[in-house]
Amino acid sequence: MNRDALTKMIKIEVVVTGADAPAVHELFRSAGATGYTSLSGVSGLGHHGYHQGRLLFNQQATLELLITVVPDDKADALLAGLRPLLQETAGVMFLTDTYVSRPDYFM
Amino acid sequence: MTIPIEATHTATASTSTRDMDRARLRATVTIAARVLPTHYPLPTFIAVNPLDGLRRSSFAEAADRAGELYGARGTLTEQAYRRHYAQGRITAEDLDLVLTRRYPTAANQPLLPLGRQSVDALSLLSADLVHGREAPDPARVFRTASEQASPATADRVASLTSRWCAAFLTSDTTSWSMPGRENGFYPAWRALAHRDPTLSRAVRGALRSLPDRADDAALDALDALGVTEQAHRDYVTAHLTEQPGWAAHIRWRTEHSAGARIDLLDYLAVRLTYEALLLADQPRPPTPVTTLFPGSGVTVPGLVHRAADVCAALEVERPSDAELTAVARVLTSLPAKDRVQVWLEAFEYHYRDALLDTLLDPTPAPMAAPRPPAQLVCCIDTRSEGLRRHLEAIGDYETLGFAGFFAAAVRYTDVDEGGARDLCPVLIQPVFAAAEIPAPDLGAAAARRREGRQAIIGADDGFHRAKDDALSPFALAEATGWVSGPVSAARTAFPRSSAAVARLVRRWAVPQVATTIDIDEGFSVNDRVLYARVALSTMGLTRNFARLVVFCGHGSATTNNPYQASLDCGACGGQRGGPAARVAVAILNDSTVRDGLAEHDIHIPADTWFVAAEHDTATDTVVVLDEHLVPADHRSELERLCLDLTAAGQLLTAERCATLPGASARAQQNLARAGRHARTRSADWAQVYPEWGLVGNASFIIGPRSHTRGIDLHRRAFLHSYRHEDDPAGAALETILTAPLIVAQWINAQYYFSAVSPQTFGSGTKTIHNVLGGVGVLAGHAGDLQLGLPWQSVAYGEDLVHEAMRLLTVIYAPIARIDEIVDRNTILQELLNGDWFTFVARENPTEPWQERTRTGWQPWTTPTQQQQRSLT
Repeated sequence: MNRDALTKMIKIEVVVTGADAPAVHELFRSAGATGYTSLSGVSGLGHHGYHQGRLLFNQQATLELLITVVPDDKADALLAGLRPLLQETAGVMFLTDTYVSRPDYFM
Repeated sequence: MTIPIEATHTATASTSTRDMDRARLRATVTIAARVLPTHYPLPTFIAVNPLDGLRRSSFAEAADRAGELYGARGTLTEQAYRRHYAQGRITAEDLDLVLTRRYPTAANQPLLPLGRQSVDALSLLSADLVHGREAPDPARVFRTASEQASPATADRVASLTSRWCAAFLTSDTTSWSMPGRENGFYPAWRALAHRDPTLSRAVRGALRSLPDRADDAALDALDALGVTEQAHRDYVTAHLTEQPGWAAHIRWRTEHSAGARIDLLDYLAVRLTYEALLLADQPRPPTPVTTLFPGSGVTVPGLVHRAADVCAALEVERPSDAELTAVARVLTSLPAKDRVQVWLEAFEYHYRDALLDTLLDPTPAPMAAPRPPAQLVCCIDTRSEGLRRHLEAIGDYETLGFAGFFAAAVRYTDVDEGGARDLCPVLIQPVFAAAEIPAPDLGAAAARRREGRQAIIGADDGFHRAKDDALSPFALAEATGWVSGPVSAARTAFPRSSAAVARLVRRWAVPQVATTIDIDEGFSVNDRVLYARVALSTMGLTRNFARLVVFCGHGSATTNNPYQASLDCGACGGQRGGPAARVAVAILNDSTVRDGLAEHDIHIPADTWFVAAEHDTATDTVVVLDEHLVPADHRSELERLCLDLTAAGQLLTAERCATLPGASARAQQNLARAGRHARTRSADWAQVYPEWGLVGNASFIIGPRSHTRGIDLHRRAFLHSYRHEDDPAGAALETILTAPLIVAQWINAQYYFSAVSPQTFGSGTKTIHNVLGGVGVLAGHAGDLQLGLPWQSVAYGEDLVHEAMRLLTVIYAPIARIDEIVDRNTILQELLNGDWFTFVARENPTEPWQERTRTGWQPWTTPTQQQQRSLT
């Protein structure tokens, strides 16, 4: 696929507990992100050991993966908010370049 | 390699720098707000641990932190514990046991010569606990500039902010709506605040030129107050914790309501702006504001004084300096502020030892027959224990404990078509929808019922509108005063009779109609089979089904009680449990679902019928729901069961009357009198003690009922049924430990902190409560929203009825399985390692108890076992 027809943007993925997810949603929104994707009940091995995935009757204690895509000029503000937040929570963040076909969805 | 991300993206425009400042401030506010308690509004008021935000710290550290943040106590006072000691509720043996566990090497230290005595270290510590001068009450460390420089200004900031919060947050429930509310809290306040005539002209002038955005206003105010960015977090913490009720409620709104139009940054922008403007001409303390203001008067007893107290208690006359120094050296291991933690542990040990001793070798109780006449599944709520105990004593019934939503996480709409309600623990979202619909051929009756209900709602609404209007109250008083006076007098003097009349009128106006449950078709047969498997497996009911299986939810019928939801079912989100039970049995009576269950080796006999019921915990009456659906050949058995449930309820009411304030001694001995007394309380609109709720809760027992059957647990234990033999993978136990146990811990913590710190984490006395729409209550006409349970929910007069202890979790399961579950669940690790609750376990009743400690499982020897050992 030819990338010339695509627009370069920044993808930010954050893994936090379900209880902390609303704070990250709010940061996304306030920094101008137009949307996000959320995957609940993710499991895996991390700095604090193994994290159980989906729990039957507790969505707050499990981990959630939140993904948003923003234009480059909005990324700094978002990172400025996310970094101190993640210093205080059991979470991680990944930032990568990405390409989208419909940039107006993300502006 | 670390990549300096900021360096790779140079902020090219000033707006970008401002954007980053705003984002950092928002993150700072989010982080600072983590220490706040959670506040649920009155309609769904459920128990939560007010220090849950500090869960990653140990309980003792969090208790200290509560002192720094709120000036609140994390335990009872030393004076209160010493009173328990004097009364024998804590014994010298309890103290010795706790001290030995905390200081295992102290017993081996050489004796200390003191005067003519030789005293061991544990005795010195014990004497200090019992006789040492008391540590001072905690004091708030994080304080705003106005708190430090001008308390009157701090009060003014709090008062102004509270007023605007109340105006904005109650706009949905009052006849007056804050102008501009639709634009959000900050814009609405910004448009109106400069018109406040109580403010000076200079302040009003400054309010006219505030920025458009709340985060900019907050940043400007912080700058004006001289708070550097490094101190933002502490300063924001000080503001959030000065009135934690409003802050906690606004955080709840933001997280639970998409259209909240208010968040903590809006709230802080208002508070900080007022403070900056009102303090403009006054001297301010230096920032960061993280130290006590000089002269706060908090002094901790010095070691020398404590040593002198110990010597005096041991009757050592004129101790030498060397003796005092030696004693002081021993006391260094137990700082004065930590003594309350030792007292708390001793308080808990006394109860726990007795409980584990009782469970050690339960007296064989009559067990249910191979196929019992009926099985009753009750909520784990501590109040169910009494009903189960009495019912088991009456008949050959089997009872089980399970979370009161019966695993049916449902969004429910009733036949009156009110708003949908989520009937599930707040830990989860509803999985499917269900509606109460008229039984076949009863559509016309349901329409008449709806019309009647709408007429009543309309009349009620009209009455309140007339009452709240500026002029109409005069006409209203003329028109209705002649009747409302006698009605009010009758409700006060004859509450039970008045309630009966009101029920009759209501039944006439809003006729009852038989209904059934309609489950959303989107919840497929496969989903229903999966639901049924999970529910039955987790409650340990997968075989030997009785002909009648009753799912008994619970609720509490009380009058004029803003805290009604706190007495209803926590597992149903603070609502009555009957609807959840109806939904669950509707699924389990479906033959298609039963066919699906059979494929998973759960065979429900064709003659088994699931029945929904509801236990009213205020009157201990149990009502069977959807009786019209019960097959004819089950009716006589159901009638027998209902009679036995009535008898069990009467016995339970008489038992409860022993502790209900104002219940006569005769009510305890006469079942009919006890029942009348409970019904009167339930209907009395002036009654501040309708029932004791979950007072006394202290343990959570996970295991087969056969291990606790026949034992009076005094309505203090949450009981969850579990058979480890049926759960080799530990899935059911993991569900129990990560959901019902967490909810129980919240309940336990809310009762605990409402008892030890009623002004901060409780809601003070009911007598001055002022209900604020659907938001919460104020103590008086202004001030902060109250957070927890009223004083009358945990105490009578000046004396606590609730014994404030942390939860003891007793598990009948293999130790290794428990460890595996803890190892993969951070929340359990935090709560266990931080001593928020304790696990005691054994696989079978013949094995010794083991306690899970930070260093591994340790044997727990109960007093009976100690006696047996000493005899042998």
